[in-house]
Amino acid sequence: MSDLDRQIEQLKRCEPLSESEVKSLCLKAMEILVEESNVQRVDAPVTLCGDIHGQFYDMMELFKVGGDCPKTNYLFLGDFVDRGYYSVETFLLLLALKVRYPDRITLIRGNHESRQITQVYGFYDECLRKYGSVNVWRYCTDIFDYMSLSAVVENKIFCVHGGLSPTINTLDQIRTIDRKQEVPHDGAMCDLLWSDPEDIVEGWGLSPRGAGFLFGGSVVTTFNHTNNIDYIGRAHQLVMEGYKWMFDSQIVTVWSAPNYCYRCGNIASILELDENLNKEFRVFQAAQQDSRGPPAKKPAPDYFL
Amino acid sequence: MSPPPNYRPIRAPAINLPHNSQAIILSPVPHAEKVPVVTPPYQFQRPVKRIHSPDDIRRFQESASFKNFLGFVVSLSESIDGHKIADPCHVSPTVATIVSILETLLRWIDEIPPVPMSSRYGNISFRSWHDRLAEKGESLVHEFLPDEFKESTIEIVPYLFDSFGNASRIDYGTGHETNFAAWLYCLAKMGIIKEEDYHAVVARVFVKYLELMRKLQMVYCLEPAGSHGVWGLDDYHFLPFIFGSSQLVDHKYMKPKFIHNDDILDNFSSEYMYLSCIGFVKKVKKGLFAEHSPLLDDISGVSNWKKVNSGLLKMYKVDVLQKVPIMQHFLFGSLIKWYDSSFVLSRFKHSNLWLYNVVCGLGFVSRD
Repeated sequence: MSDLDRQIEQLKRCEPLSESEVKSLCLKAMEILVEESNVQRVDAPVTLCGDIHGQFYDMMELFKVGGDCPKTNYLFLGDFVDRGYYSVETFLLLLALKVRYPDRITLIRGNHESRQITQVYGFYDECLRKYGSVNVWRYCTDIFDYMSLSAVVENKIFCVHGGLSPTINTLDQIRTIDRKQEVPHDGAMCDLLWSDPEDIVEGWGLSPRGAGFLFGGSVVTTFNHTNNIDYIGRAHQLVMEGYKWMFDSQIVTVWSAPNYCYRCGNIASILELDENLNKEFRVFQAAQQDSRGPPAKKPAPDYFL
Repeated sequence: MSPPPNYRPIRAPAINLPHNSQAIILSPVPHAEKVPVVTPPYQFQRPVKRIHSPDDIRRFQESASFKNFLGFVVSLSESIDGHKIADPCHVSPTVATIVSILETLLRWIDEIPPVPMSSRYGNISFRSWHDRLAEKGESLVHEFLPDEFKESTIEIVPYLFDSFGNASRIDYGTGHETNFAAWLYCLAKMGIIKEEDYHAVVARVFVKYLELMRKLQMVYCLEPAGSHGVWGLDDYHFLPFIFGSSQLVDHKYMKPKFIHNDDILDNFSSEYMYLSCIGFVKKVKKGLFAEHSPLLDDISGVSNWKKVNSGLLKMYKVDVLQKVPIMQHFLFGSLIKWYDSSFVLSRFKHSNLWLYNVVCGLGFVSRD
């Protein structure tokens, strides 16, 4: 068994890698991700997955429902880290699978794959608590800069974490973005990761998130027509039923973190597309308590010493 | 199609100082300070946001406003030291009126039921509740303001408006909670709340505020604003853990580890804020406590409540009052001043701190 296969097995048991293993895994992943396009081409059949947010044991449920990688071809729409307890293990498992099976799993960047956001929403604190230093956070956030911004399945389904941008009309415009950087505060790259579709908005609206925009149905119609795509697949917003179509089936939100933040009571879903792009949503619940390993006991934070 | 609106800046980053355990352990515990009462002529003004960057945070933490506000929080914490919630305390007419205002806000929740909604977590009826606050908030405050301070509403009401969550995002977090403490601090600066009121401000006003916030959180499903996920103390609150740990200091038998005993939580939550907070977390969250609340779990291993209280005060200072994403919304006016003459003096002290750190090899880097 190769080192990588051993690491994947270890991560599947929710055991984190050592700092040096993370470093070398990230270096290998970088070589693969740097070659990917900003609009990565993905073949069907493929299974679309939305936000995970460090809910490791719930992601194991996802794999139970959707099948193991590489048997199933996966497209994850970002937001692997933050909020949950197991962002490190979650992201590293996906990254290890990417290195091992680069053509069977595609990871695109979410707004939480960012240095700034992870310092506010937990991933930074998690790395510090689990490793006693922020080196692992550094390696991982460096990798975030290399992740693709979007994907297109069989040239028919445009997939992105957040949504559209007023500065983007065509997929070619996305292809010209220099993505290897921290997510900027504004501009096309920011919007793709931050924007939301909104019923009550005609055209473009200001986003309450403070980044990206709200966009209405006419924006989606124009974009899909211009780029000759059937619909947009995105994540980024909690939907209680796991998925939600909007604007006459021109855009779908897929959400894959059940009982989000341990409290929201929502179900999660993945979207399976077969070779003819027929759609099937599979919904799933949070993992049962007895299938979750107990977190390692830690001493009190430094403030209390 | 409408043109895109102008961009607004995204929330700014947290300060990314190198992590230094020794520096945290050795940093002093914030201490209580008396609140100086303002004297006429008053110059009440609409308060504005001032904090935009880590540099601004550094300026803020060196200011007299920062120390005095934090000192006020410590004073509140000390006022409830060793007391149960129901212990008798002096309740002034002002404090009684503030409690009744919070009861009015609670009643509005019953009058504005959540609308049936699918998909979204946060309920849009919260916006109607908040609209009513915007409409009637000022007249509520007038109920207890002495005549000489009627003009202060322009300055103090904005703190109150920001105390119960954000209507457009339908969320709530420690920044909003800090605004409520800041509103109380403004009342203390005007002498409307006096030191002898502090015990009742915690045991009556803050306890009622917590009851109100929990009901808002549950009924309208407020989302946690910018929480550190499981790595924050709590999705919404910080101060009740400070006040609650102070209540338990020197308790005869109650130890921090007792939070794992559900019988204790059931029997004593009505008397001790810390226990009621833990009970609430256990009620609303599913899963292993150590997984959804690792910090509270780790703190349960601390040997005594005194250490819990001092640790929480240190943590509140760093993780709430010194975080740009939270404090960028904080307001400054004539009562909580952004910039004052003590600044120059504190810069001098700051350079001494720098020297101290260099001598001690703590690696603190002055970035002025």
